[in-house]
Amino acid sequence: MLAFIIRRLFSTLLVMGLVGVFIFLLLHLSPGDPAAIIAGDNATPAQIEAIRTSLGLNDPLHLQFGRWAVRVLNGDLGISIFSNVPVATLIGQRVWPTLSLALTTIVLAVVLALTAGVLAAWKAGSLLDRLVMILSVVGFSVPVFVVGYLLIYLFAITLRWLPVQGYTPLAEGLWPWASHLVLPSLALGLAYVALIARITRTAMLDVLAEDYMRTARAKGVATGPMLFKHALKSAGVPIVTVVGIGIALLIGGVVITETVFNLPGIGRLVVDAISKRDYPIIQGVILLFSGVYVIINLLVDLSYTLLDPRIRY
Amino acid sequence: MTRRATTSRRRFLQTGLAAGAAVAAPGRLTAQSAPPAAKTIRAVMHGDLTVLDPIWTTANMSAYHGAMLYDTLFGIDANLDTKPQMVSKWGASDDKKTWTFELRDGLKFSDGSAVTSEDVIASLKRWAARDGAGQHMMQRVADIAKKDDKTFQFILKEPYGYLVDALGKTSTPLCYIMRKKEAETNPMEKITAYVGSGPFIFNETETRQGVRYVYDRNPNYVPRAEPPSGLAGGKVAKVDRVMFENMADSQTALAALQAGEIDFYETPPVDLIGQLEGDGNLTLEVLNKTGNIGWLRMNFLHPPFNNVDARRAMLYLLDQEDFVKATFGNPKYYKKCPSNFGCGVPMENDANTGWFKEAPNPAKAKEFLQKSGYKGEPILLMQATNIDFMRNAADLVAGALRSIGANVQVASSDWGGVVNRRAVKAPPDQGGWNLFITWADGNAVSNPIALAGHAATGEKAWFGWPSDAKNEELRDKWALAGSLAEKQQIARELQENAWNFVPHVWLGQWVAPTARRKNLTGMLAVPGVVPFWNVQKA
Repeated sequence: MLAFIIRRLFSTLLVMGLVGVFIFLLLHLSPGDPAAIIAGDNATPAQIEAIRTSLGLNDPLHLQFGRWAVRVLNGDLGISIFSNVPVATLIGQRVWPTLSLALTTIVLAVVLALTAGVLAAWKAGSLLDRLVMILSVVGFSVPVFVVGYLLIYLFAITLRWLPVQGYTPLAEGLWPWASHLVLPSLALGLAYVALIARITRTAMLDVLAEDYMRTARAKGVATGPMLFKHALKSAGVPIVTVVGIGIALLIGGVVITETVFNLPGIGRLVVDAISKRDYPIIQGVILLFSGVYVIINLLVDLSYTLLDPRIRY
Repeated sequence: MTRRATTSRRRFLQTGLAAGAAVAAPGRLTAQSAPPAAKTIRAVMHGDLTVLDPIWTTANMSAYHGAMLYDTLFGIDANLDTKPQMVSKWGASDDKKTWTFELRDGLKFSDGSAVTSEDVIASLKRWAARDGAGQHMMQRVADIAKKDDKTFQFILKEPYGYLVDALGKTSTPLCYIMRKKEAETNPMEKITAYVGSGPFIFNETETRQGVRYVYDRNPNYVPRAEPPSGLAGGKVAKVDRVMFENMADSQTALAALQAGEIDFYETPPVDLIGQLEGDGNLTLEVLNKTGNIGWLRMNFLHPPFNNVDARRAMLYLLDQEDFVKATFGNPKYYKKCPSNFGCGVPMENDANTGWFKEAPNPAKAKEFLQKSGYKGEPILLMQATNIDFMRNAADLVAGALRSIGANVQVASSDWGGVVNRRAVKAPPDQGGWNLFITWADGNAVSNPIALAGHAATGEKAWFGWPSDAKNEELRDKWALAGSLAEKQQIARELQENAWNFVPHVWLGQWVAPTARRKNLTGMLAVPGVVPFWNVQKA
């Protein structure tokens, strides 16, 4: 197991290195000039050129990459071209809203989806099952921003139950914190609920048809423990896999959700950076996202050993 | 097995609690006492404040930031007249070559230090190194000398009538006065400390780059006694705090305004203005009366627009009405304007505008295009698809050109892609371009010196690189002119010449209403910046 973890951590570094090279080349070879954006629309070509030189953007690409790579290897993600603030500081300022949104969305989605999926499988073919499947299709089909605007219109503008936008730290109270996360979590979590509910239902249908489940029922095990303790655990491997895959969706969705609900998180940070061509921020955040994604995949693989004793690394 | 599962749950709970504490911690560390909501204005402006040095960039958001914390020697009032601001007395020698300025009594920076002539001179030099009008002015300046702590002099090589107007202009970058220590920063580098003598102080502790920018009332500010008007008069801060919230999504900003979560929204989406007009809690008001003017730039370096007939063809081909109507819809907010200096401004005139009365005249446009020697070569039109006006206008230009037989290739990208490519002087098939669309601030357009795009200095000019010696002679003459009547006469001559060599084509003028909660009163109408002094929240 330890050797497996070390191998995977090593491959994580390799993946992040490749991501770093790819994103650097992608950004620097695609159209867009941060100097021109910084200078403003009334600037002359000479003013823009002076800014390009002062930012080091006229240096050969390999030199620029070398400078950035050395910094990253020393734990320095660089400094924002526009604000002169270190990228690590900016990420540090933005990580809490994103973490709050991701955690509440995952908890909300997993609880709702597992319950819906298990119940749909248990009552396969019933009205409940069809309802869950219809809602899953809807949840998976409607874009996050459409759901977001509808939720804002209903709960924030019409009913005035919840705020439209923004983020309040947990330190300022549980309700202020939670009230700003309810709508974004619902909007972001809907597709996630749909995905997990569908896979849970399918996996549960297979497990519920197994002989040992029939035996459990024959021995008088109550429905609740049978479904949620025995069957759900046996169906866990594909579900956990999908939860892991879903986190990739979550990363993409966070970017849109934070924009729609004006959450000052990492998603907003990277969207703003892309529109301004603030290379160090884009590179730093994508490296971070890729690292998180690879580590989540590692944790998913490790969780298989807990769910299925036959799996060994 | 069961025991292991129980332990897992405990660990899960422990981890969850630890994560919760971690999420809470930063907020606990950063939470500070804030002024009450009634003394705080939350405003969503047209974009993010990306550069905090208002001299280093021409970006409007940086000018807004500057107006909060810095003051200017002169400022324009609501009638666009230049009035003294930090200056108490000024005057010129008989030969108009020595100008003496005296600062008002008691001016202080927010750190408590006095504003001196040395601060002013250093600020003027840095600003002039970055600003087009400043550079034009400095060609005529022999020296800027300190006379005493409150008095300084401009020693000119020749009389320069535009001097005071340049110091008070609102086109970016404005001539903000900084402390000597920041003003001595290399003009090519950004300042890193933000201390001004304006009505507000920049609160860096509460500011979160890309999220919100916080300004607190400056207790050291000494306002003028006159009532406020534009950027002139007494700049009295009537609230304790102003916050510029960076909200990327316009729908969200609009919803936040309607729900009372923000107080002011500078640029509500034009297609939703009707909906806002019906909201009894909101006030819509045009603050920038000169608005913006759509702008088609043509590349003078390559065929077909290196030929004046091809450029004339564009004057006759395009109908400004199509462009402004396509994006802004409601005629209440737009108009056609043939003047090279915009409409509703002192330099507006109708010299040489016969083409305007005829346009659109596709037959005449086709005739001019053929006369230019155009043989169907591809015309590369850059289109910024992420900005409504630019996207719509590019579609209309492409359609109009195709209707007269031109071979148009539209190169679509985001605005970032356009600003990158427009700097390329190579031919269109080697990464260059023929046409692109943008817009300019109406007040800047009204000034032949302040707008970089009015220069026709060839490869040193703004993108498109127009070249015309007579245009440059007349611009210089305009800057040297002493009276408004003289300037207006020269502006006519400039325009007469401009519509002969056609440096660009304007695509209509529009104003954009701002939206605010009804309890916000005292907003001042001025082009170039949005002032938050004099504003009260009931």
